[in-house]
Amino acid sequence: MKKIILITASVVMVGLIISIIIYLQYPQSSSLPTNREEQQDISPEAEKLQPIYDDDHTVGYSLQNKELNITFDKGKTWQYVPVEIDNLFAGEYNGNKQELIKNSYILSENRVAFLYMEKTNEYENKVVLTYSHDQGKTWKDAIVTDRYPMIRFRKVAFLTEEFGYVIISGDRVVAQEASNVYITYDGGENWKETNQSGVTRLISDGGFIDEQTGFLSYGTINPDEPELYVTQDGGNTWTQAFTNVPENYHEIFVTAEMPVKEEAHLVLLVNQGPNGDYKGGKVKGKFISKDNGKTWEFSKEIEVDDQEAG
Amino acid sequence: MTKRQDKRIKIIGWLLFFLAIGFFFLQMGYLFIHQRFQVEYIDNRIFYIINIICVLCLSLGILFLLTLTKKWKLAVASIVILFIIMNSVLLVIGNSKIKNVTSISPDFKHVLAIKQNTKTGEAVYYRNYYGILALPKETLPYKTDGEFKVEWLANDVAVVTYKATDKTIHQFIGTYGDRGGGLSYYYVGAEIQGAWQGENIELISSPDGISVTQNGRTETFDWDQIVQFGTLAIVLTENNQAKWTISLNEDFTIDSSSATPPSGGISVYRATMDENKPFVLIYEGAN
Repeated sequence: MKKIILITASVVMVGLIISIIIYLQYPQSSSLPTNREEQQDISPEAEKLQPIYDDDHTVGYSLQNKELNITFDKGKTWQYVPVEIDNLFAGEYNGNKQELIKNSYILSENRVAFLYMEKTNEYENKVVLTYSHDQGKTWKDAIVTDRYPMIRFRKVAFLTEEFGYVIISGDRVVAQEASNVYITYDGGENWKETNQSGVTRLISDGGFIDEQTGFLSYGTINPDEPELYVTQDGGNTWTQAFTNVPENYHEIFVTAEMPVKEEAHLVLLVNQGPNGDYKGGKVKGKFISKDNGKTWEFSKEIEVDDQEAG
Repeated sequence: MTKRQDKRIKIIGWLLFFLAIGFFFLQMGYLFIHQRFQVEYIDNRIFYIINIICVLCLSLGILFLLTLTKKWKLAVASIVILFIIMNSVLLVIGNSKIKNVTSISPDFKHVLAIKQNTKTGEAVYYRNYYGILALPKETLPYKTDGEFKVEWLANDVAVVTYKATDKTIHQFIGTYGDRGGGLSYYYVGAEIQGAWQGENIELISSPDGISVTQNGRTETFDWDQIVQFGTLAIVLTENNQAKWTISLNEDFTIDSSSATPPSGGISVYRATMDENKPFVLIYEGAN
Protein backbone atom coordinates (compact mmCIF):
# COMPACT_ATOMS: atom_id res chain seq x y z
CA MET A 1 0.00 0.00 0.00
CA LYS A 2 2.85 2.35 0.93
CA LYS A 3 4.33 1.82 -2.50
CA ILE A 4 1.02 2.66 -4.26
CA ILE A 5 0.57 5.84 -2.23
CA LEU A 6 4.11 7.01 -2.95
CA ILE A 7 3.88 6.19 -6.65
CA THR A 8 0.53 8.00 -6.91
CA ALA A 9 1.94 10.99 -5.05
CA SER A 10 4.96 11.09 -7.37
CA VAL A 11 2.70 10.91 -10.43
CA VAL A 12 0.58 13.79 -9.07
CA MET A 13 3.69 15.89 -8.35
CA VAL A 14 5.24 15.26 -11.76
CA GLY A 15 1.85 15.82 -13.41
CA LEU A 16 1.42 19.15 -11.64
CA ILE A 17 4.88 20.32 -12.64
CA ILE A 18 4.23 19.34 -16.27
CA SER A 19 0.84 21.10 -16.10
CA ILE A 20 2.56 24.29 -14.92
CA ILE A 21 4.97 24.09 -17.85
CA ILE A 22 2.02 23.59 -20.25
CA TYR A 23 0.08 26.40 -18.58
CA LEU A 24 2.98 28.78 -18.98
CA GLN A 25 3.13 28.00 -22.71
CA TYR A 26 -0.43 29.19 -23.19
CA PRO A 27 -0.85 32.78 -24.18
CA GLN A 28 -2.22 34.28 -20.98
CA SER A 29 -5.80 35.31 -21.55
CA SER A 30 -5.68 34.11 -25.12
CA SER A 31 -8.75 36.09 -26.04
CA LEU A 32 -7.27 39.44 -25.25
CA PRO A 33 -7.09 40.94 -28.70
CA THR A 34 -3.55 41.54 -29.83
CA ASN A 35 -2.45 44.90 -31.08
CA ARG A 36 -2.02 45.59 -34.71
CA GLU A 37 1.60 46.54 -33.97
CA GLU A 38 2.20 43.13 -32.49
CA GLN A 39 0.48 41.41 -35.35
CA GLN A 40 2.77 43.06 -37.83
CA ASP A 41 5.64 41.12 -36.35
CA ILE A 42 4.18 38.07 -38.00
CA SER A 43 4.94 38.42 -41.67
CA PRO A 44 2.26 37.21 -44.08
CA GLU A 45 4.72 34.56 -45.17
CA ALA A 46 4.57 33.04 -41.68
CA GLU A 47 1.91 30.77 -43.08
CA LYS A 48 1.44 30.43 -46.80
CA LEU A 49 -1.87 32.05 -47.64
CA GLN A 50 -4.47 29.94 -49.35
CA PRO A 51 -7.12 31.92 -51.20
CA ILE A 52 -10.77 31.23 -50.49
CA TYR A 53 -13.11 31.73 -53.44
CA ASP A 54 -16.86 32.08 -53.51
CA ASP A 55 -18.81 30.49 -56.32
CA ASP A 56 -19.37 33.73 -58.12
CA HIS A 57 -16.18 35.53 -57.20
CA THR A 58 -12.91 35.67 -59.04
CA VAL A 59 -11.12 37.52 -56.27
CA GLY A 60 -9.84 35.39 -53.41
CA TYR A 61 -9.31 36.24 -49.79
CA SER A 62 -7.56 34.81 -46.76
CA LEU A 63 -8.15 35.20 -43.04
CA GLN A 64 -4.93 33.43 -42.12
CA ASN A 65 -2.37 34.98 -39.74
CA LYS A 66 -5.18 36.93 -38.06
CA GLU A 67 -5.50 39.40 -40.93
CA LEU A 68 -7.54 39.87 -44.04
CA ASN A 69 -5.67 39.68 -47.33
CA ILE A 70 -7.06 39.56 -50.85
CA THR A 71 -5.59 38.33 -54.09
CA PHE A 72 -6.48 39.10 -57.71
CA ASP A 73 -3.99 36.66 -59.22
CA LYS A 74 -4.80 33.35 -57.60
CA GLY A 75 -2.51 33.82 -54.61
CA LYS A 76 0.69 35.05 -56.29
CA THR A 77 0.44 38.48 -54.72
CA TRP A 78 -1.66 39.63 -51.78
CA GLN A 79 -3.10 42.94 -50.69
CA TYR A 80 -3.57 43.59 -46.99
CA VAL A 81 -7.04 44.90 -46.07
CA PRO A 82 -6.93 47.41 -43.20
CA VAL A 83 -9.78 45.88 -41.25
CA GLU A 84 -9.58 44.11 -37.89
CA ILE A 85 -10.68 40.49 -38.25
CA ASP A 86 -12.69 40.66 -35.02
CA ASN A 87 -14.74 43.55 -36.39
CA LEU A 88 -15.75 41.51 -39.43
CA PHE A 89 -17.45 39.03 -37.13
CA ALA A 90 -18.53 41.52 -34.48
CA GLY A 91 -22.11 41.60 -33.25
CA GLU A 92 -24.46 38.70 -33.08
CA TYR A 93 -22.75 36.07 -35.19
CA ASN A 94 -22.25 32.48 -34.15
CA GLY A 95 -21.12 30.96 -37.42
CA ASN A 96 -17.71 29.83 -38.51
CA LYS A 97 -14.97 32.44 -38.58
CA GLN A 98 -12.80 30.70 -41.13
CA GLU A 99 -14.77 32.34 -43.92
CA LEU A 100 -16.31 35.79 -44.20
CA ILE A 101 -20.00 36.20 -43.40
CA LYS A 102 -22.07 35.69 -46.53
CA ASN A 103 -23.20 38.96 -48.18
CA SER A 104 -21.04 41.07 -45.84
CA TYR A 105 -18.50 41.76 -48.56
CA ILE A 106 -18.05 42.41 -52.25
CA LEU A 107 -15.13 40.99 -54.17
CA SER A 108 -14.89 41.94 -57.81
CA GLU A 109 -12.19 43.24 -60.11
CA ASN A 110 -13.55 46.80 -59.90
CA ARG A 111 -14.73 46.93 -56.33
CA VAL A 112 -13.81 45.24 -53.08
CA ALA A 113 -15.76 46.19 -49.99
CA PHE A 114 -16.18 44.85 -46.46
CA LEU A 115 -19.05 45.72 -44.17
CA TYR A 116 -18.43 45.48 -40.44
CA MET A 117 -19.20 46.87 -37.02
CA GLU A 118 -16.73 48.78 -34.91
CA LYS A 119 -17.08 50.10 -31.38
CA THR A 120 -16.99 53.89 -31.30
CA ASN A 121 -16.89 54.15 -27.57
CA GLU A 122 -18.00 52.23 -24.57
CA TYR A 123 -21.63 52.53 -25.47
CA GLU A 124 -21.95 52.74 -29.23
CA ASN A 125 -20.99 51.05 -32.42
CA LYS A 126 -20.65 52.30 -35.92
CA VAL A 127 -21.20 50.35 -39.10
CA VAL A 128 -18.42 50.87 -41.59
CA LEU A 129 -17.81 49.91 -45.20
CA THR A 130 -14.14 49.71 -46.06
CA TYR A 131 -13.72 49.67 -49.81
CA SER A 132 -11.25 49.99 -52.63
CA HIS A 133 -11.78 50.68 -56.32
CA ASP A 134 -8.17 50.05 -57.35
CA GLN A 135 -7.70 46.44 -56.30
CA GLY A 136 -6.55 47.23 -52.80
CA LYS A 137 -3.93 49.90 -53.53
CA THR A 138 -5.89 52.56 -51.69
CA TRP A 139 -8.69 52.11 -49.18
CA LYS A 140 -11.50 54.30 -47.96
CA ASP A 141 -13.75 53.94 -44.93
CA ALA A 142 -17.36 55.01 -45.34
CA ILE A 143 -19.51 55.30 -42.24
CA VAL A 144 -22.86 53.75 -43.05
CA THR A 145 -24.21 54.77 -39.65
CA ASP A 146 -22.34 56.10 -36.64
CA ARG A 147 -24.80 54.87 -34.02
CA TYR A 148 -26.00 51.32 -34.07
CA PRO A 149 -26.76 48.65 -31.49
CA MET A 150 -25.35 45.11 -31.67
CA ILE A 151 -25.58 44.13 -35.33
CA ARG A 152 -27.08 40.77 -36.43
CA PHE A 153 -28.07 40.57 -40.10
CA ARG A 154 -25.75 42.35 -42.56
CA LYS A 155 -25.75 42.63 -46.30
CA VAL A 156 -24.06 44.92 -48.79
CA ALA A 157 -24.48 44.95 -52.57
CA PHE A 158 -24.09 47.28 -55.51
CA LEU A 159 -26.34 47.24 -58.56
CA THR A 160 -24.37 49.79 -60.57
CA GLU A 161 -21.09 51.65 -60.22
CA GLU A 162 -22.89 54.28 -58.19
CA PHE A 163 -25.97 52.70 -56.60
CA GLY A 164 -25.64 50.30 -53.71
CA TYR A 165 -27.42 49.29 -50.55
CA VAL A 166 -26.68 48.05 -47.05
CA ILE A 167 -29.27 46.18 -44.99
CA ILE A 168 -28.55 45.62 -41.31
CA SER A 169 -30.49 44.59 -38.27
CA GLY A 170 -29.69 44.76 -34.60
CA ASP A 171 -30.81 45.15 -31.00
CA ARG A 172 -32.43 41.74 -31.16
CA VAL A 173 -34.45 40.60 -28.16
CA VAL A 174 -35.76 37.07 -28.66
CA ALA A 175 -37.72 37.35 -31.93
CA GLN A 176 -37.85 41.14 -32.28
CA GLU A 177 -35.26 43.52 -33.67
CA ALA A 178 -34.77 46.71 -35.62
CA SER A 179 -33.83 46.52 -39.29
CA ASN A 180 -32.52 49.39 -41.38
CA VAL A 181 -31.78 50.02 -45.03
CA TYR A 182 -29.12 52.45 -46.26
CA ILE A 183 -28.51 53.43 -49.85
CA THR A 184 -25.73 55.19 -51.67
CA TYR A 185 -25.82 57.00 -55.00
CA ASP A 186 -22.11 57.84 -55.16
CA GLY A 187 -20.40 54.48 -55.18
CA GLY A 188 -20.35 54.00 -51.41
CA GLU A 189 -18.90 57.26 -50.14
CA ASN A 190 -22.10 58.62 -48.61
CA TRP A 191 -24.94 56.60 -47.16
CA LYS A 192 -28.48 57.65 -46.39
CA GLU A 193 -31.00 55.69 -44.40
CA THR A 194 -34.32 55.01 -46.12
CA ASN A 195 -37.57 55.08 -44.24
CA GLN A 196 -38.17 52.02 -42.12
CA SER A 197 -40.70 49.31 -42.83
CA GLY A 198 -41.82 49.34 -39.19
CA VAL A 199 -41.60 45.55 -38.93
CA THR A 200 -39.81 44.20 -35.86
CA ARG A 201 -39.73 40.51 -36.77
CA LEU A 202 -36.29 39.12 -37.54
CA ILE A 203 -35.18 39.91 -41.06
CA SER A 204 -34.14 36.96 -43.20
CA ASP A 205 -33.05 38.73 -46.39
CA GLY A 206 -33.44 41.91 -48.37
CA GLY A 207 -32.24 43.70 -51.44
CA PHE A 208 -32.96 45.96 -54.36
CA ILE A 209 -33.46 44.93 -57.95
CA ASP A 210 -33.20 48.46 -59.29
CA GLU A 211 -32.81 51.92 -57.76
CA GLN A 212 -36.51 52.15 -56.96
CA THR A 213 -37.58 48.61 -56.21
CA GLY A 214 -36.44 46.85 -53.09
CA PHE A 215 -37.61 44.04 -50.84
CA LEU A 216 -37.31 43.02 -47.20
CA SER A 217 -38.20 39.48 -46.16
CA TYR A 218 -38.98 38.75 -42.52
CA GLY A 219 -39.30 35.66 -40.37
CA THR A 220 -36.45 33.37 -39.42
CA ILE A 221 -37.82 31.70 -36.28
CA ASN A 222 -40.73 29.36 -37.00
CA PRO A 223 -42.36 31.48 -39.71
CA ASP A 224 -45.76 30.31 -40.89
CA GLU A 225 -46.14 32.51 -43.93
CA PRO A 226 -43.90 34.68 -46.06
CA GLU A 227 -43.75 38.28 -44.97
CA LEU A 228 -42.31 40.31 -47.80
CA TYR A 229 -42.21 44.08 -47.86
CA VAL A 230 -41.68 46.03 -51.03
CA THR A 231 -40.72 49.58 -51.91
CA GLN A 232 -41.19 51.06 -55.34
CA ASP A 233 -39.83 54.50 -54.53
CA GLY A 234 -36.29 53.86 -53.37
CA GLY A 235 -37.21 53.16 -49.76
CA ASN A 236 -39.52 56.07 -49.03
CA THR A 237 -42.46 53.81 -48.39
CA TRP A 238 -42.61 50.13 -47.63
CA THR A 239 -45.77 48.10 -48.02
CA GLN A 240 -46.42 44.45 -47.42
CA ALA A 241 -46.53 42.45 -50.61
CA PHE A 242 -49.40 40.02 -51.01
CA THR A 243 -48.13 36.52 -51.56
CA ASN A 244 -50.96 34.31 -52.67
CA VAL A 245 -49.89 30.97 -51.22
CA PRO A 246 -52.31 28.24 -52.33
CA GLU A 247 -54.21 26.54 -49.49
CA ASN A 248 -52.30 23.27 -49.86
CA TYR A 249 -48.97 25.07 -49.40
CA HIS A 250 -49.97 27.00 -46.27
CA GLU A 251 -47.32 26.71 -43.58
CA ILE A 252 -45.09 24.92 -46.09
CA PHE A 253 -43.67 27.74 -48.16
CA VAL A 254 -42.94 30.27 -45.46
CA THR A 255 -39.79 32.32 -46.06
CA ALA A 256 -39.47 34.58 -49.08
CA GLU A 257 -36.09 34.83 -50.77
CA MET A 258 -34.93 37.78 -52.84
CA PRO A 259 -36.95 38.30 -55.99
CA VAL A 260 -35.17 38.40 -59.34
CA LYS A 261 -36.12 39.85 -62.71
CA GLU A 262 -37.05 37.32 -65.34
CA GLU A 263 -38.22 38.58 -68.72
CA ALA A 264 -41.12 40.98 -68.17
CA HIS A 265 -41.95 39.92 -64.63
CA LEU A 266 -40.38 39.22 -61.26
CA VAL A 267 -39.78 35.78 -59.82
CA LEU A 268 -39.79 34.99 -56.12
CA LEU A 269 -38.76 31.72 -54.54
CA VAL A 270 -40.33 30.94 -51.19
CA ASN A 271 -38.51 28.29 -49.19
CA GLN A 272 -39.64 26.09 -46.33
CA GLY A 273 -37.84 27.93 -43.53
CA PRO A 274 -35.43 26.27 -41.10
CA ASN A 275 -37.73 23.39 -40.17
CA GLY A 276 -39.42 22.57 -43.50
CA ASP A 277 -39.68 18.90 -44.40
CA TYR A 278 -42.16 18.92 -47.27
CA LYS A 279 -40.70 16.54 -49.88
CA GLY A 280 -37.61 16.34 -47.73
CA GLY A 281 -37.33 20.11 -47.67
CA LYS A 282 -36.01 19.96 -51.22
CA VAL A 283 -38.63 22.02 -53.03
CA LYS A 284 -39.40 25.71 -53.04
CA GLY A 285 -42.43 27.56 -54.27
CA LYS A 286 -42.00 29.72 -57.35
CA PHE A 287 -44.15 32.86 -57.42
CA ILE A 288 -44.51 35.42 -60.14
CA SER A 289 -45.34 39.11 -59.91
CA LYS A 290 -46.49 41.20 -62.83
CA ASP A 291 -46.90 44.43 -60.85
CA ASN A 292 -43.27 44.88 -59.84
CA GLY A 293 -43.51 42.99 -56.57
CA LYS A 294 -46.77 44.04 -54.97
CA THR A 295 -48.67 40.81 -55.52
CA TRP A 296 -47.33 37.37 -56.10
CA GLU A 297 -49.12 34.42 -57.68
CA PHE A 298 -48.00 30.85 -57.26
CA SER A 299 -46.50 29.34 -60.39
CA LYS A 300 -45.04 25.93 -59.51
CA GLU A 301 -42.89 23.88 -57.20
CA ILE A 302 -39.25 23.80 -58.12
CA GLU A 303 -36.66 21.37 -56.91
CA VAL A 304 -33.43 22.55 -55.39
CA ASP A 305 -30.33 20.61 -54.51
CA ASP A 306 -29.58 19.66 -50.91
CA GLN A 307 -27.26 22.53 -50.21
CA GLU A 308 -29.73 25.16 -51.22
CA ALA A 309 -32.73 23.58 -49.57
CA GLY A 310 -34.49 25.09 -46.75
CA MET B 1 -2.26 7.07 20.41
CA THR B 2 -5.38 4.95 20.83
CA LYS B 3 -6.58 2.62 18.11
CA ARG B 4 -9.64 4.84 17.61
CA GLN B 5 -7.54 7.97 17.18
CA ASP B 6 -5.29 6.10 14.82
CA LYS B 7 -8.28 5.07 12.70
CA ARG B 8 -9.56 8.63 12.62
CA ILE B 9 -6.20 9.93 11.44
CA LYS B 10 -6.09 7.29 8.74
CA ILE B 11 -9.57 8.32 7.52
CA ILE B 12 -8.51 11.97 7.41
CA GLY B 13 -5.33 10.90 5.64
CA TRP B 14 -7.28 9.04 2.95
CA LEU B 15 -9.70 11.95 2.58
CA LEU B 16 -6.84 14.39 2.04
CA PHE B 17 -5.14 11.99 -0.33
CA PHE B 18 -8.25 11.56 -2.49
CA LEU B 19 -8.93 15.28 -2.32
CA ALA B 20 -5.44 15.86 -3.73
CA ILE B 21 -6.14 13.41 -6.54
CA GLY B 22 -9.44 15.22 -7.17
CA PHE B 23 -7.64 18.56 -7.46
CA PHE B 24 -5.08 16.95 -9.75
CA PHE B 25 -7.79 15.75 -12.13
CA LEU B 26 -9.48 19.14 -11.91
CA GLN B 27 -6.27 20.77 -13.18
CA MET B 28 -5.84 18.18 -15.92
CA GLY B 29 -9.47 18.67 -16.96
CA TYR B 30 -8.96 22.42 -16.94
CA LEU B 31 -5.93 22.20 -19.22
CA PHE B 32 -7.99 20.08 -21.59
CA ILE B 33 -11.01 22.37 -21.77
CA HIS B 34 -8.82 25.44 -21.88
CA GLN B 35 -7.03 24.04 -24.91
CA ARG B 36 -10.25 22.88 -26.53
CA PHE B 37 -12.77 25.62 -25.73
CA GLN B 38 -10.61 28.55 -24.57
CA VAL B 39 -12.38 28.42 -21.22
CA GLU B 40 -10.33 30.05 -18.51
CA TYR B 41 -10.40 30.16 -14.75
CA ILE B 42 -12.31 33.23 -13.73
CA ASP B 43 -9.13 34.45 -12.10
CA ASN B 44 -5.81 33.26 -13.53
CA ARG B 45 -4.42 32.94 -10.01
CA ILE B 46 -6.81 30.07 -9.28
CA PHE B 47 -4.57 27.70 -11.23
CA TYR B 48 -1.66 28.23 -8.86
CA ILE B 49 -3.84 28.30 -5.76
CA ILE B 50 -5.32 24.90 -6.66
CA ASN B 51 -1.80 23.57 -7.23
CA ILE B 52 -0.78 24.71 -3.77
CA ILE B 53 -3.91 23.24 -2.12
CA CYS B 54 -3.41 20.00 -4.03
CA VAL B 55 0.18 19.60 -2.83
CA LEU B 56 -0.74 20.51 0.75
CA CYS B 57 -3.50 17.87 0.78
CA LEU B 58 -1.18 15.35 -0.78
CA SER B 59 1.65 15.90 1.68
CA LEU B 60 -0.64 15.94 4.74
CA GLY B 61 -2.37 12.81 3.44
CA ILE B 62 0.99 11.05 3.15
CA LEU B 63 2.03 12.18 6.61
CA PHE B 64 -1.23 10.82 8.09
CA LEU B 65 -1.20 7.57 6.14
CA LEU B 66 2.44 6.57 6.26
CA THR B 67 4.96 6.35 9.03
CA LEU B 68 7.95 8.24 7.72
CA THR B 69 11.43 8.60 9.10
CA LYS B 70 12.65 12.06 10.01
CA LYS B 71 14.78 12.14 6.86
CA TRP B 72 11.74 11.40 4.66
CA LYS B 73 9.60 13.93 6.50
CA LEU B 74 12.24 16.58 5.84
CA ALA B 75 12.41 15.64 2.19
CA VAL B 76 8.61 15.85 1.77
CA ALA B 77 8.51 19.19 3.62
CA SER B 78 11.30 20.61 1.44
CA ILE B 79 9.58 19.54 -1.78
CA VAL B 80 6.29 21.01 -0.60
CA ILE B 81 7.85 24.33 0.44
CA LEU B 82 9.78 24.57 -2.81
CA PHE B 83 6.62 23.84 -4.79
CA ILE B 84 4.60 26.42 -2.88
CA ILE B 85 7.29 29.08 -3.38
CA MET B 86 7.47 28.30 -7.09
CA ASN B 87 3.68 28.59 -7.50
CA SER B 88 3.52 31.77 -5.44
CA VAL B 89 6.23 33.40 -7.55
CA LEU B 90 4.49 32.38 -10.78
CA LEU B 91 1.19 33.67 -9.38
CA VAL B 92 2.68 37.10 -8.66
CA ILE B 93 4.50 37.30 -12.01
CA GLY B 94 1.35 36.16 -13.88
CA ASN B 95 -0.77 38.73 -12.13
CA SER B 96 1.65 41.50 -13.00
CA LYS B 97 1.23 40.65 -16.68
CA ILE B 98 -2.52 40.02 -16.64
CA LYS B 99 -4.21 41.89 -13.86
CA ASN B 100 -7.27 40.03 -12.59
CA VAL B 101 -10.20 41.96 -11.20
CA THR B 102 -12.69 39.63 -9.59
CA SER B 103 -15.70 40.49 -7.49
CA ILE B 104 -18.35 38.21 -6.05
CA SER B 105 -21.95 39.38 -5.74
CA PRO B 106 -23.30 39.94 -2.21
CA ASP B 107 -25.44 36.78 -2.51
CA PHE B 108 -22.44 34.77 -3.80
CA LYS B 109 -24.32 33.80 -6.97
CA HIS B 110 -22.44 35.80 -9.60
CA VAL B 111 -18.84 36.70 -10.24
CA LEU B 112 -17.70 39.73 -12.15
CA ALA B 113 -14.34 39.19 -13.78
CA ILE B 114 -12.12 41.49 -15.79
CA LYS B 115 -8.66 40.62 -17.01
CA GLN B 116 -6.39 43.42 -18.05
CA ASN B 117 -3.24 43.06 -20.10
CA THR B 118 -0.98 45.44 -18.19
CA LYS B 119 1.36 45.88 -21.16
CA THR B 120 -1.27 46.97 -23.68
CA GLY B 121 -3.82 48.37 -21.22
CA GLU B 122 -6.59 46.33 -22.84
CA ALA B 123 -9.19 44.82 -20.54
CA VAL B 124 -11.65 42.04 -21.26
CA TYR B 125 -14.91 41.42 -19.43
CA TYR B 126 -15.54 37.75 -18.65
CA ARG B 127 -18.80 36.00 -18.04
CA ASN B 128 -18.54 33.19 -15.54
CA TYR B 129 -19.84 29.65 -15.95
CA TYR B 130 -20.00 26.90 -13.35
CA GLY B 131 -18.52 29.05 -10.60
CA ILE B 132 -14.83 29.26 -11.34
CA LEU B 133 -14.75 29.04 -15.14
CA ALA B 134 -15.24 31.94 -17.51
CA LEU B 135 -15.35 32.88 -21.16
CA PRO B 136 -14.41 36.29 -22.56
CA LYS B 137 -17.50 38.37 -23.38
CA GLU B 138 -16.24 41.70 -24.63
CA THR B 139 -13.26 43.99 -24.64
CA LEU B 140 -13.70 47.25 -22.77
CA PRO B 141 -13.44 49.94 -25.44
CA TYR B 142 -10.86 52.07 -23.68
CA LYS B 143 -7.36 51.10 -22.73
CA THR B 144 -7.15 51.49 -19.01
CA ASP B 145 -4.46 52.48 -16.58
CA GLY B 146 -5.27 49.44 -14.48
CA GLU B 147 -7.38 51.09 -11.83
CA PHE B 148 -10.84 49.53 -11.46
CA LYS B 149 -13.52 50.05 -8.86
CA VAL B 150 -16.31 47.52 -8.55
CA GLU B 151 -19.56 48.18 -6.72
CA TRP B 152 -22.54 45.83 -6.61
CA LEU B 153 -25.68 47.98 -6.74
CA ALA B 154 -27.84 44.87 -6.38
CA ASN B 155 -27.15 41.15 -6.26
CA ASP B 156 -27.27 41.12 -10.05
CA VAL B 157 -25.85 44.51 -11.02
CA ALA B 158 -22.13 45.23 -10.81
CA VAL B 159 -20.75 48.61 -11.83
CA VAL B 160 -17.13 48.80 -12.87
CA THR B 161 -15.78 52.33 -12.82
CA TYR B 162 -12.43 52.74 -14.50
CA LYS B 163 -10.11 55.38 -15.80
CA ALA B 164 -8.92 55.27 -19.38
CA THR B 165 -5.34 56.10 -20.26
CA ASP B 166 -6.53 59.55 -21.39
CA LYS B 167 -7.83 60.09 -17.82
CA THR B 168 -11.50 59.98 -18.80
CA ILE B 169 -13.84 58.06 -16.50
CA HIS B 170 -16.03 55.26 -17.81
CA GLN B 171 -18.49 52.84 -16.35
CA PHE B 172 -19.22 49.34 -17.48
CA ILE B 173 -22.08 47.35 -16.00
CA GLY B 174 -22.29 43.60 -15.65
CA THR B 175 -25.93 42.56 -15.37
CA TYR B 176 -26.96 39.08 -14.35
CA GLY B 177 -30.73 39.25 -13.98
CA ASP B 178 -34.00 40.86 -14.92
CA ARG B 179 -36.95 42.50 -13.23
CA GLY B 180 -39.61 41.57 -15.77
CA GLY B 181 -39.57 37.78 -15.68
CA GLY B 182 -36.97 37.60 -18.45
CA LEU B 183 -39.51 37.36 -21.24
CA SER B 184 -39.42 40.78 -22.77
CA TYR B 185 -37.07 43.64 -23.28
CA TYR B 186 -37.90 46.93 -21.64
CA TYR B 187 -36.27 50.31 -21.35
CA VAL B 188 -35.03 51.19 -17.90
CA GLY B 189 -35.42 54.92 -18.58
CA ALA B 190 -39.06 54.46 -19.52
CA GLU B 191 -39.77 52.20 -16.55
CA ILE B 192 -38.55 54.83 -14.08
CA GLN B 193 -40.58 57.72 -15.53
CA GLY B 194 -41.40 60.15 -12.74
CA ALA B 195 -39.68 61.85 -9.84
CA TRP B 196 -37.45 59.95 -7.43
CA GLN B 197 -36.16 61.17 -4.11
CA GLY B 198 -33.25 60.14 -1.94
CA GLU B 199 -31.07 61.73 0.68
CA ASN B 200 -29.91 65.09 -0.81
CA ILE B 201 -30.54 63.76 -4.27
CA GLU B 202 -33.44 63.92 -6.68
CA LEU B 203 -33.90 62.31 -10.06
CA ILE B 204 -36.50 63.05 -12.69
CA SER B 205 -37.05 60.82 -15.69
CA SER B 206 -39.20 62.49 -18.33
CA PRO B 207 -39.81 62.06 -22.05
CA ASP B 208 -37.01 64.61 -22.65
CA GLY B 209 -34.37 62.78 -20.67
CA ILE B 210 -33.14 62.35 -17.13
CA SER B 211 -32.01 65.01 -14.72
CA VAL B 212 -30.13 64.39 -11.50
CA THR B 213 -30.05 67.05 -8.79
CA GLN B 214 -27.58 66.63 -5.97
CA ASN B 215 -26.98 69.31 -3.34
CA GLY B 216 -28.83 71.86 -5.48
CA ARG B 217 -26.78 71.16 -8.63
CA THR B 218 -28.70 69.74 -11.56
CA GLU B 219 -27.25 67.74 -14.43
CA THR B 220 -29.51 66.97 -17.37
CA PHE B 221 -29.01 64.19 -19.88
CA ASP B 222 -30.85 63.69 -23.18
CA TRP B 223 -31.85 60.19 -24.18
CA ASP B 224 -28.97 60.30 -26.69
CA GLN B 225 -26.57 60.45 -23.74
CA ILE B 226 -28.13 57.50 -21.96
CA VAL B 227 -26.98 53.97 -22.57
CA GLN B 228 -28.66 50.83 -21.31
CA PHE B 229 -26.90 47.69 -20.08
CA GLY B 230 -28.98 44.51 -20.07
CA THR B 231 -32.40 45.33 -18.67
CA LEU B 232 -31.23 46.48 -15.27
CA ALA B 233 -29.17 49.62 -15.57
CA ILE B 234 -28.37 52.72 -17.56
CA VAL B 235 -25.34 54.96 -17.69
CA LEU B 236 -25.74 58.71 -18.12
CA THR B 237 -22.87 60.09 -20.16
CA GLU B 238 -21.52 63.51 -21.03
CA ASN B 239 -18.70 64.30 -23.44
CA ASN B 240 -18.05 60.60 -23.85
CA GLN B 241 -17.52 60.12 -20.13
CA ALA B 242 -19.77 58.34 -17.67
CA LYS B 243 -21.43 60.57 -15.07
CA TRP B 244 -23.99 58.42 -13.28
CA THR B 245 -25.26 54.86 -13.24
CA ILE B 246 -28.91 54.18 -12.44
CA SER B 247 -29.99 50.66 -11.64
CA LEU B 248 -33.22 48.95 -10.66
CA ASN B 249 -33.13 47.57 -7.13
CA GLU B 250 -34.19 44.01 -6.38
CA ASP B 251 -37.57 45.14 -5.09
CA PHE B 252 -38.35 46.98 -8.33
CA THR B 253 -41.09 45.30 -10.35
CA ILE B 254 -41.79 45.92 -14.01
CA ASP B 255 -45.41 46.52 -14.80
CA SER B 256 -45.39 47.83 -18.35
CA SER B 257 -48.97 46.88 -19.01
CA SER B 258 -50.57 49.32 -16.60
CA ALA B 259 -50.25 52.91 -15.58
CA THR B 260 -49.63 52.10 -11.95
CA PRO B 261 -46.64 53.87 -10.40
CA PRO B 262 -43.44 51.86 -10.15
CA SER B 263 -42.95 49.83 -7.02
CA GLY B 264 -39.55 49.41 -5.44
CA GLY B 265 -36.49 51.60 -5.43
CA ILE B 266 -33.63 52.53 -7.72
CA SER B 267 -29.95 53.09 -7.03
CA VAL B 268 -27.97 56.02 -8.35
CA TYR B 269 -24.20 55.84 -8.35
CA ARG B 270 -21.81 58.59 -9.39
CA ALA B 271 -18.95 57.81 -11.74
CA THR B 272 -15.83 58.68 -9.81
CA MET B 273 -12.66 56.88 -8.84
CA ASP B 274 -13.01 58.24 -5.30
CA GLU B 275 -14.63 56.12 -2.65
CA ASN B 276 -18.39 56.65 -2.87
CA LYS B 277 -21.62 54.87 -2.05
CA PRO B 278 -24.75 54.52 -4.17
CA PHE B 279 -27.88 56.48 -3.24
CA VAL B 280 -31.16 54.64 -2.90
CA LEU B 281 -34.11 56.60 -4.27
CA ILE B 282 -37.81 55.99 -3.86
CA TYR B 283 -40.65 57.01 -6.12
CA GLU B 284 -42.14 60.41 -5.34
CA GLY B 285 -44.75 60.64 -8.04
CA ALA B 286 -45.22 61.66 -11.63
CA ASN B 287 -43.11 64.69 -12.46
